[in-house]
Amino acid sequence: MNDFAGKPFAEAYVAQQPGTNEFEQFVETIPPESTKVDIRGLDFFYMRNQALYSVSLPVAQNAVTAIVGPSGCGKSTLLRVINRIYALYPGQRAEGQVMLDGQNILDRSTDLPWLRSRVGMVFQQSTPFPMSIYDNVAFGVRLYENLHKAELSARVEESLRRSALWEEVKDKLETSALGLSGGQQQRLCVARSVAVRPEVLLLDEPASALDPISTAKLEETIVELKRDISIAIVTHNLQQAARVSDHTAFMFLGRLIEYGSTERVFNNPRTSKAADYVTGRFG
Amino acid sequence: MLAQARGALAEPFFRYACGAAATALLCAMGGLCILLAIGGWPALSTFGLSFFTSTTWNPVTDVYGGAGPILGTLITSVVALLIALPLAFFTAVFLTEFCPQFLRRPIGIAVELLAGIPSIVYGMWGLFVFAPVFAKYVEAPLMAWAAPDSIWGKIFTGIPNGSGVFTASIILAIMILPYIAATLRELFLSIPPRVRESAYGMGCTPLEVVWSVIVPYVRRSAIGAVMLGLGRALGETMAVTFVIGNSHRLPRGLFDSGATISSIIANEFAEATSPMHISALLALGFLLFLITFAVLAIARALLGHGHGT
Amino acid sequence: MSGFTGIFDRRGRRRLANATFVIVCTLATVVALVVLAIILASLLRKGIGGLDLAVFTEDTPPPGAPGGLRNALLGSLFLCSAAMTIAVTVGMLAGTWLAEYSTDNWYAKTVRFINDVLLSAPSILVGLFVYVIAVRPLHSFSALAGALALALIAAPIVTRATEDVLRLQPRALREAGAGLGTPIWITIRRILWKASAGGIITGALLAFARISGETAPLLFTSLNNQFFSLNLLKPIANLPVTIFSFALSPYEDWQRLAWAGSLLIAFTVLSINTLVRILASKRRRT
Repeated sequence: MNDFAGKPFAEAYVAQQPGTNEFEQFVETIPPESTKVDIRGLDFFYMRNQALYSVSLPVAQNAVTAIVGPSGCGKSTLLRVINRIYALYPGQRAEGQVMLDGQNILDRSTDLPWLRSRVGMVFQQSTPFPMSIYDNVAFGVRLYENLHKAELSARVEESLRRSALWEEVKDKLETSALGLSGGQQQRLCVARSVAVRPEVLLLDEPASALDPISTAKLEETIVELKRDISIAIVTHNLQQAARVSDHTAFMFLGRLIEYGSTERVFNNPRTSKAADYVTGRFG
Repeated sequence: MLAQARGALAEPFFRYACGAAATALLCAMGGLCILLAIGGWPALSTFGLSFFTSTTWNPVTDVYGGAGPILGTLITSVVALLIALPLAFFTAVFLTEFCPQFLRRPIGIAVELLAGIPSIVYGMWGLFVFAPVFAKYVEAPLMAWAAPDSIWGKIFTGIPNGSGVFTASIILAIMILPYIAATLRELFLSIPPRVRESAYGMGCTPLEVVWSVIVPYVRRSAIGAVMLGLGRALGETMAVTFVIGNSHRLPRGLFDSGATISSIIANEFAEATSPMHISALLALGFLLFLITFAVLAIARALLGHGHGT
Repeated sequence: MSGFTGIFDRRGRRRLANATFVIVCTLATVVALVVLAIILASLLRKGIGGLDLAVFTEDTPPPGAPGGLRNALLGSLFLCSAAMTIAVTVGMLAGTWLAEYSTDNWYAKTVRFINDVLLSAPSILVGLFVYVIAVRPLHSFSALAGALALALIAAPIVTRATEDVLRLQPRALREAGAGLGTPIWITIRRILWKASAGGIITGALLAFARISGETAPLLFTSLNNQFFSLNLLKPIANLPVTIFSFALSPYEDWQRLAWAGSLLIAFTVLSINTLVRILASKRRRT
């Protein structure tokens, strides 16, 4: 469902949508000084198929923003714009503005490795690299910084602690990461991203392949990380969004329908689509 | 009733026919090995160890030592691999990472198609087109440049006529290049997109993605693919026979003429009359079988069923 | 961020390394493509001159006389057809056994492994093997031996293709056959082979392309013949060995014919492989 490797995914939905403003919309604003990423009027295309229609949305500084909505609504697509991972695939195109600390990252001149060192990403399926646990976590750090061995080890430990994995792996750091369980692998991927000290972390349904216990641990990690990282998380699990996020964005058919504080969106949705969704009437 | 009875008889018959066909393939391989061993035994037992160490190959006196062709086989294959592997690797990376979209398919297909051109075509091209140019513009200047007593002088010893061990290696390299490149490309493409995405997502440059993630990810199969290419080079006959110069002695330098096991068999087997001569050629064949079987077996074990043909 | 001390020079270095890498990869591809283009170009240049009607209508000449390649072309066609008849029979049955009848025991694994090794085994050894089993006992080089050698090279390709494509067939197809009370062998023949026909034909075409240029295994099995013959027990004229001996001859006419023959073979092989691609992409689309 979420394999976006260059395939149009929402053709059927999108084809029925000629205009852009036929849905009622309710978007709260947050003060500019607490905005880390500001998405403005974003359109997205898979070849000729439009997948996002003029999406405008802030990602708040040092907080968790949840992006929810039914399958194929464009929530993963939106996330994949923020670190421009979509650029790996010819034929995928974003128009509009995505401001990171006042700089539009959609500019052609953006240095992608540099952008991605500031905006980390964890994917739906865990992707440990074929190397040891230690080397996995140190991988990104070695790309950007010249640390002494002790400093590097300290950074690895710190990252593993923050992602609640340290106790489980501290005695086998030199063994292959491929031997870890699914939940551990996913937290390792979080640690790998965190080790680079990103400013923004994008989580694309990070718990969808995990069991309840691993999911709970991952959620604790997310809450811990927002101390100094701005997080955007895509999830189809509404309880999870309610548990971990401060702000919630509800998307439908490639459009942003409602955005606001999580508490308000869940308890008092202002649009009928969002109300239907959070009360479980569809999706 | 009658139809059912016929079906009941045909069923096991068909089944056994299928089993027999599968067994026939097995027997062919087994028979190949055993018959070559039996055929080569007279030569191996007569000359013993000197069959592998002696360079005397004399049909007139009926004395045979295979060190020349054995060494020739190994040298040409290894040198060919050294030339072809980097080119094939970089080409495969270019096709999967950097090539503009509209060129990917055409170049990919071109590479795969070229892997299918018969080796005799490469051999002819090597002899008539490549060798004269190579002799004039590479061999002669290099030999003139290298002092006879220096190490370069030793390496570049030979006759600058374009034929020789090094020419054979180059032709072999050109032959196995598309083959290795196509297999490596297929392997790179088999990596799940999410693995590449997460590496790029860490802010890796393409070089770092290829070196730290893609290569380790396919390392096992990639070694298999390279071994498969080596197996091809070891057993290749026609491309080599045209250009290696066909002399039985140990090549003294890279530009000297030599022979490989397959080229000596191709040249002499049909005309060999003395039983010992035939036996010596079969013994060389048996040796080639053992070497290539080992290489191919390792390659297949690493590569698994499903990649490369 | 204090952690990014030195990021700028490091960034510069990484960019430089990457740019070098891109250039090296591009250059390697250019070199590879240019070399292969040169080969095709010189093949075309040297071959097209010798390619006239006489190539198809006249037999191989003695040195100095005009002539063509008719006997070699027909002989090769005959050899390859005979070889393919054997190879398709054996290969389809063996592939069917591997996919449908064998339980995954050690025997099946061995057969599959040996078949994979045979796929790239040196063809000259196949020639030696067939010499020992078919030429020596009959005391004569023969078309039969040549066909046998080529069949042994083609059969593993057909086996592999058959097994692979049979394994792609949905289980439901087999169960539907069995559900109608059809015996297994009828289900295989009437349903599975039919559903897999495209893939098997592809494999057979690839095998045909492969053996049509094989020279080494024919050198001491079918040998060659100056004249036209379809006698199974006599040496038979064939294109690859003719090219080999004509190319290495000192006569210019013969060399010209060898180039023309090379061009014909390369053109045939490339056409078959292209056809296979078109067929395969058509099948994927439907």
